[in-house]
Amino acid sequence: MSLLSIRDLHAGYGSADVLHGISMDVDAGQVVVVLGANGAGKTTTMRAIAGLIGRRGTVELDGKPLGKRPEQVVGAGISLVPQGRGTLGQLTVMDNLRVGAALRDDKDGVASDIERWTEVFPVLGRRSHQIAGSLSGGEQQMLAVARALMSRPRLLLCDEPSLGLAPIVVQELFDTLSQINKADGTALLIVEQNAELAMDLADTVYLLDVGTIAATGTPAEFRSDDAVRSAYLGY
Amino acid sequence: MTTIDDTAAPSTAKPGARPGGKPKGPRFLVVQGTLPYRGLQLGAVLLVALLLLWASGLPAFRMGQITNVFIIAIAIAGLNLVTGYTGLLSIGHSAFFGLGAYTTGILIVKYEFAPLSTIPVAIGLCFVLGLLVGLPSLRIHGLYLALVTLAVAVSFPEIVRRAEELTGGAAGMVVRSRFLAPPEWTGLVRAERGIWMFWFSAAVLAVVMLLCRNLVRSRFGIAMRATRDNEIAAAANGISVARTKIVAFGISGAITGLAGSLFTMYMGALSPDGSFTLLKSIEFITGLVLGGVATQIGPLVGAFAVVFLPYLTASYTEGPLAGVVFGIVLIVIVFLMPEGIVGRVGILARKVVHIVPADHPRLGRADREGPPEPARAEQ
Amino acid sequence: MELFLERLITGLTNGSIYALLALALVVVFRGTGTLNFAQGELALFTTFFAWWLTTESIPVWIAIIASLIAGFVLGALIERLLIRPVQRRNDMAVLIVALGLFTGLNSLAGLIWGSETKIMPSPFPNGIDDFVSVGGARLYFDALGVVGALVALMIVLTLLFRYTRVGLHMRAVADNAESATLAGVRTSRILAIGWGLSGAIGALAGVLVTPLSPQQLGLTSMFHVFIAASAAALFGGLDSLTGAVVGGITIGVLEAMLTGYVSFIGGSLQQTSALFIIVAILFLRPNGLFGTKRLVRV
Repeated sequence: MSLLSIRDLHAGYGSADVLHGISMDVDAGQVVVVLGANGAGKTTTMRAIAGLIGRRGTVELDGKPLGKRPEQVVGAGISLVPQGRGTLGQLTVMDNLRVGAALRDDKDGVASDIERWTEVFPVLGRRSHQIAGSLSGGEQQMLAVARALMSRPRLLLCDEPSLGLAPIVVQELFDTLSQINKADGTALLIVEQNAELAMDLADTVYLLDVGTIAATGTPAEFRSDDAVRSAYLGY
Repeated sequence: MTTIDDTAAPSTAKPGARPGGKPKGPRFLVVQGTLPYRGLQLGAVLLVALLLLWASGLPAFRMGQITNVFIIAIAIAGLNLVTGYTGLLSIGHSAFFGLGAYTTGILIVKYEFAPLSTIPVAIGLCFVLGLLVGLPSLRIHGLYLALVTLAVAVSFPEIVRRAEELTGGAAGMVVRSRFLAPPEWTGLVRAERGIWMFWFSAAVLAVVMLLCRNLVRSRFGIAMRATRDNEIAAAANGISVARTKIVAFGISGAITGLAGSLFTMYMGALSPDGSFTLLKSIEFITGLVLGGVATQIGPLVGAFAVVFLPYLTASYTEGPLAGVVFGIVLIVIVFLMPEGIVGRVGILARKVVHIVPADHPRLGRADREGPPEPARAEQ
Repeated sequence: MELFLERLITGLTNGSIYALLALALVVVFRGTGTLNFAQGELALFTTFFAWWLTTESIPVWIAIIASLIAGFVLGALIERLLIRPVQRRNDMAVLIVALGLFTGLNSLAGLIWGSETKIMPSPFPNGIDDFVSVGGARLYFDALGVVGALVALMIVLTLLFRYTRVGLHMRAVADNAESATLAGVRTSRILAIGWGLSGAIGALAGVLVTPLSPQQLGLTSMFHVFIAASAAALFGGLDSLTGAVVGGITIGVLEAMLTGYVSFIGGSLQQTSALFIIVAILFLRPNGLFGTKRLVRV
């Protein structure tokens, strides 16, 4: 049974639907990558799962329906790293991490998690009392990932993590994500425009096109399918 | 590798035209400039004229109330320009109303001006005050600007009380009725001031409404609305946002000041704490929201409501209840009828009769070439 | 010299009250980006309530605590029932609702408790002899009490925002509501708590102002305080607690000195002078003296 199972998901803004019934599965410990052009509905999918916008259709975690309010989603074990990072700019790095543990009551566990993530991302440790808004783009992305991990999610959603970052920083970030996935078994659902890089990580790839799933398969299948490759991967 | 077939996927394609059932469009479509449209216009003018004639036959007290409605409507029409069409909430319009009123009062009492000749002075001064109030909008936005207008509203009565020699201070000033007699050319005698003010206010209101209508449709009106809807985009399109705001404030202040000037002629007595406090501003805003923000006849409808609502409630208890009712009405309107009375009636009316300009895209080619059909059911 | 000291003390006392209400305004602004025009009238309402309790022979301290609780509940209810539903539409709708509350609450207080002025007992000793002499000037205990209340509140707020989870979440929501929501913060509860907190702070300002003001408790008591408090809050850029306190004290002292030494201003132009301070500040520093600059994107 899959960890996250999405069936016939509709969502959008106002009266206009952006997603027209998509279905998707993420297995425990898996890395799933969603590709698609601008406006295909990638971010909308993430926001709908996270409960930021209304949705219709079935979304189940471990076979149980997933709540529609953001705090229910976080409480159930799904955490979103939003596009543009969503840094709490006026708060310190440490406070950002504490906000990430909003729903946890185990003080000791929170303290040891903070310690762990500041070791994984040493820059956050060095700047823990600095205002988060003063960090560089790459550092803020690390902070956003660490903040999302503070809720101990079983599934981490990442919306365009590479956006606006230098290639070397992106590589570093993806390496870290991969390590976390292997060490903790945290499943990842990543939306990316940087298709090549994301596919290196992926177990399964979905291709979104104008609000519907156009194709699905393993990275190898995607690379070997000439039609898909030339249409969506651009080489 | 699964490639999902495109044709199978969208089960959700929007259903097209409803099979059978009633057509969703309005029952009648009237095209601007055609015979039925002219007919409607003529009918409306006739109806207004009949209503005015009927009202002028009412007992003096009722007629006075309606005169008051017209004056408040002019004031709200001024507010509508800046708050409704330009999107700047002003809590300071009581000051424009007051400045207009006191200008007329002082000129008549101290300098023996004829009432009508004070009007241009009142308009001019209020225009300048409007520009001054609008000036901070060069740098100050939104809420902060509302605070500046609040400052103006609160300062006005204090300054009037202070400038005792000119204004009579806290005790107020009385304009003797012999100064306020109708002009000779009307053939009316001094005792007929009520009827004179009724017709005069009605005429001024008509002119103001026409003026606002044309202003809103003009180039400047487009700049006002663009500023309201998206300041940055407006600026990016070459509209001088600051100038638009300042001039809008000026014109708006001038019109509300004109209403104040009429108010002096109507009341004959002024006091700083009577009609020129923050509460008057709130009354204007209530009227505007109730009647319909950024609509053409909203100010008139709203003025009727704010003048008669307190009378209605005051007949049950005196004093504070009127304030409670004002507060509740404001909140309820924002919740239930954000488009105001006029906006709501307009939405309902459009289901029956829809007036469109001659080049409206909803009209087929045939309509434009051939004689327009007055009634048309279409989907 | 004595006269100067006494004016300074008056200024500090009034300034403390302005600062209290300014803090209430800042707490709301930080949470919802709204200036609560009804803040003063809300305080008036809870203060009338406290007065009514004292007439029912309830001790003044208990009445004050009850009014703080009433302020919290009213504030939270107003946010939940009246502000939140229109918040998304636009600023104008929120402002108009606040204006409705402004007239409504004031008149409702008059309707329930009558418009005649009332004598609200002071929570501090306020006899003619209850003062200490400092450099020849009389320092009355009730004035000291007001300044003390402000200091205590500042300490409580600092502790709340810096060391508690609710405070952390309030700061997070003020900073970026969506990110806070994504982290699992119950944003709607935090916003209601923010308004409740500011209602309680306003109630504190209300019960402290009335024993001090010469005309005692009337329907217009809080209006001048609100004007001065919004000037104070603005002085600090509407989002800075320190700024609100500095602003409140500055305006209180300036007012006392201007009224005392500049005869033209006298008693009746007090409000106007406070307001000119507002306009001047806004013109020179559109974000206040302590405010953070906000970027606007299209």
